Amino acid sequence: MTHPGVDWGRWRNVPSRLVHVWRTSLRFRTVLITVLLTGVAILITGVVVSYSVSNDLYRSRLEQAFRDSARATTDAQKKLDAADATDPAAVQSLFQQVLGDVKNSTATNLIQSSRIPGQGATAGAPAGITTFGSHQAIISKDLQKKVQSSDHAIYAQAVALPATDGATDPGIVVGTELVLPSAGRYELYVGYRLHDSEQTLLYVQRTLLLAGLALVLLIGAVTWVVVRFVVVPIRLAADTSRRLAAGELEVRMPEKGEDVFTTLARSFNGMADALQRQITQLATLSQLQQRFVSDVSHELRTPLTTIRLAGDVIYDQRASFPPATGRTAELLHTQIERFDLLLSDLLEISRYDAGSVALELEPTNLVRLAEDAIESLQALADQNGSELRLVAPGGYFEVEMDPRRIRRVVRNLLGNAIEHGEGRPIIVSVDSNETAVALSVLDHGLGMTQQETRHVFDRFWRADPSRRRTIGGTGLGLAISLEDATLHGGELDVWSAPGGGSCFRLTLPREPGGEIGSSPLPLGPTDVPGASAGIQPQTGARP
Amino acid sequence: MSARILVVDDDTALAEMIGIVLRTEGFEPHFCADGAQAFDAYRTARPDLVLLDLMLPGMDGIEVCGRIRADSGIPIIMLTAKSDTADVVKGLEPGADDYMVKPFNPKELVARIRTRLRPTSSNGSAERLQVGDLTLDVAAHEVRRGDKRINLTPLEFDLLLALASKPQQVFTREMLLEQVWGYHYKADTRLVNVHVQRLRAKVEDDPDNPRIVTTVRGVGYRAGASV
Repeated sequence: MTHPGVDWGRWRNVPSRLVHVWRTSLRFRTVLITVLLTGVAILITGVVVSYSVSNDLYRSRLEQAFRDSARATTDAQKKLDAADATDPAAVQSLFQQVLGDVKNSTATNLIQSSRIPGQGATAGAPAGITTFGSHQAIISKDLQKKVQSSDHAIYAQAVALPATDGATDPGIVVGTELVLPSAGRYELYVGYRLHDSEQTLLYVQRTLLLAGLALVLLIGAVTWVVVRFVVVPIRLAADTSRRLAAGELEVRMPEKGEDVFTTLARSFNGMADALQRQITQLATLSQLQQRFVSDVSHELRTPLTTIRLAGDVIYDQRASFPPATGRTAELLHTQIERFDLLLSDLLEISRYDAGSVALELEPTNLVRLAEDAIESLQALADQNGSELRLVAPGGYFEVEMDPRRIRRVVRNLLGNAIEHGEGRPIIVSVDSNETAVALSVLDHGLGMTQQETRHVFDRFWRADPSRRRTIGGTGLGLAISLEDATLHGGELDVWSAPGGGSCFRLTLPREPGGEIGSSPLPLGPTDVPGASAGIQPQTGARP
Repeated sequence: MSARILVVDDDTALAEMIGIVLRTEGFEPHFCADGAQAFDAYRTARPDLVLLDLMLPGMDGIEVCGRIRADSGIPIIMLTAKSDTADVVKGLEPGADDYMVKPFNPKELVARIRTRLRPTSSNGSAERLQVGDLTLDVAAHEVRRGDKRINLTPLEFDLLLALASKPQQVFTREMLLEQVWGYHYKADTRLVNVHVQRLRAKVEDDPDNPRIVTTVRGVGYRAGASV
C-alpha cells in the first residue's frame, strides 16, 4: 500500500540535501552557525533574565505580603488591645471583626486563625476560623511551629494554592500571632495568591521569547546580508575567473571603492592582464611558428622542386652515362624522393604542433577504404612475400571521417606490417559496434618487447637500428598516424609480443565528436588464446 | 605547332628547369617572374596554358589567376608550395583548373599539361545533349539555357559533359578525377568539389538547391535530379 500525499522518498532525501547545501553554500553555513550561536546565547540570557525577574517578583511580593500582614496584624493587635470586651460573645465578635479587618486590609480571602495550643483551656475563647477550607494542609507544620514558638515575628512560606480549575497557583502564606484579651495567643495565617505575579512573569517570559526569536531572525537576516556583501564579490571573482579560463580573456572585475574587495579585484585584474599578455604572446608566437612553417615550406619546396626536376632529367638519361655516373644519378633520384617524403612528413607534424590542422570530413566506408589501401600496397606486399587478408565482419556503412588522413593511417600501418611481417600473412580486420568503427592490422612478424612498444609512437624512433629497412620510412609515420587518429577523436593502440607479431588498432567514433565506448575489435591475435591477456596494451598518447 | 606555355614563377632556377623539361617534351615555354607583369605577359604570349605560382612578388598568384580567367577560359595550373586545404581551395576558387604541390614530379607535370591541352574527347556519338533545361552542343563547346549562352571554361564544360553523357550514372569523385583531370591514381578529391561548386554557380538557377549537378551523398555526383 502506498500512501498518496506522503512522499517518503523526498523526506528521506532531506538530510542529504541539507548536507549538500551545508557543504556547498557558505552563506547557508554562516547564517546557520550564527543563528544557532545567537539562539543559544539569547536562550541563556532569556533564562537568566526570566529567573531573576521571577525571583525579584517573588521577593517583592513576599515583602509586600510581609508589610501587609505586619500592618494588618499591628492594626488588629491595637484594636484588640484597645477593646475591653470580656464576655465570650463580645470577644468572639471582636475576634471576627478583627479578622474581617485583616482580611479587608490584606485584600485576600485566605485567612486562618486559631488558638495556639498548649495555653490551657480558657472558657469562652473563640474558636479558630479558617477560609482556607480544605486546603489547610498547605500550611506546613514547620511554619506553624515557628509562629507558635515566637513572639510577634512574621514568617512566610511559599505554597502552591489550588485554583478553581484544578490547577495550582503559586502563593505565600504569612504567619504571625495575635493576642486576644482574655483568650490568649492566636496564630494568624494569611494566604496570598501570586496569581497576578505569575501572569506578569508569564507576560515577561513571553515578551522575552518573542524578542529573542525576533532578535535571532534579525541577526540571521543581518548575517545573510553581510555574508552577501562578502560572497557576491567572491562569486563575481569566481565567475570572472571561470570566464577567463573559458577563454574570454577580456573579462575583468569591477574596481570600485577602497575596500579589501577592491584590492582583490585589482590584483585579480592584474593577474588577468598578465595572463592575457602571456597568452597573446604565445598566440603570436604560435602564429609566428605557423608563418615560419609556411615560409620554410615555401622556401624549401621551391628549390627542392628544381632539384627534383633536375634529378629526374639526369635520371632519365642515366643509360647514356658511364656506370659510376649512372649509379650516382640513381642514388640522387632515390635520395631526393626520400628527402621529399621527409620534408612533407616534417611539415605535416609541425602543422599539428602549430595546431593548424583541420579535418575535411566526408562520409566514408572504412571497409572500402581498407580495400583500396590493400590494393595500393599489394605490389609491395607481393615483393615481400606477405599475403594481405581482409576480414570485415562489420563496418559496411558511411562514417564521417577525413578519408585522406585515415587512408594515410591505414597505408602507414600496412606498410609497417609488410616491412616487419617477415613475409607471413597480414590480417586487416574491420568491424563496428554502436559507438565506434575500428580497423586493425595484425602481422606475425618479429614483434616488439614492451619496452619497444612504449616508444613506437615517438618521433624518429626505430624499433631496432640494426634491422634492415626495405621501405624507407621517415620515422614520423606512426607519430602522424596517432595525431590523425586523435584529431578524429579516435584512438590508436598497439599490442606486440616478441616473436608473436604486432597488432595496431585504429578506433574511430561513429559520430564525429562521439564517445568511443569500447573498440569493436580485440587488440592482438584472436587465434592464440590469451595472447593479449598478460600484456598491457600500449595506448598511443602524447607525452 | 607546339603548344605555348606561360610559366609564371619568381624562382628563376625553377622556371628555367621547368622550361628545360617542357622543351624536352616539345612545348614552347614563355617566362614571367613578376606577378604584376604576368597579365601583360599572358597578353603578349597568348599561351595555350598557364603554369602559375601561388606566391608571387608584385601580384598574388590568386589575383593573376582571377584576371586571366576574366579574360579567357584557358587552362591554368597553379603551382603551390602549400598543401593545406585552405590554401588549395583558395588557389582553386578564382578559377584554376588544376594545381600541383611542390615538389612535383616532372612526368606528372607533363601528364597534367597534356590532359589539359588535349581536345575534348567527343567520344559520345551525340552532338547535342540535354541536361535538365540545358542544352550542350558538344562540337561547338557551348552550353545554352534556352537562347542564353552560358560561359564555361573548357574544364567546366568537360566536367558537365562527362556527367551529362551518362545521365543515369553516379560518378564518384575518383572517376571524375580520372576522366576529366586525367589522374590515374588516388588524388585530391577536393579538386572535384571546388569545380562542381564553380560549375553549379554558373549553370544552376539556385546553386544552394542544385538540379543540374546533384550530389549523391557518400558516393559522388550525377547529372539531373536524383530519383
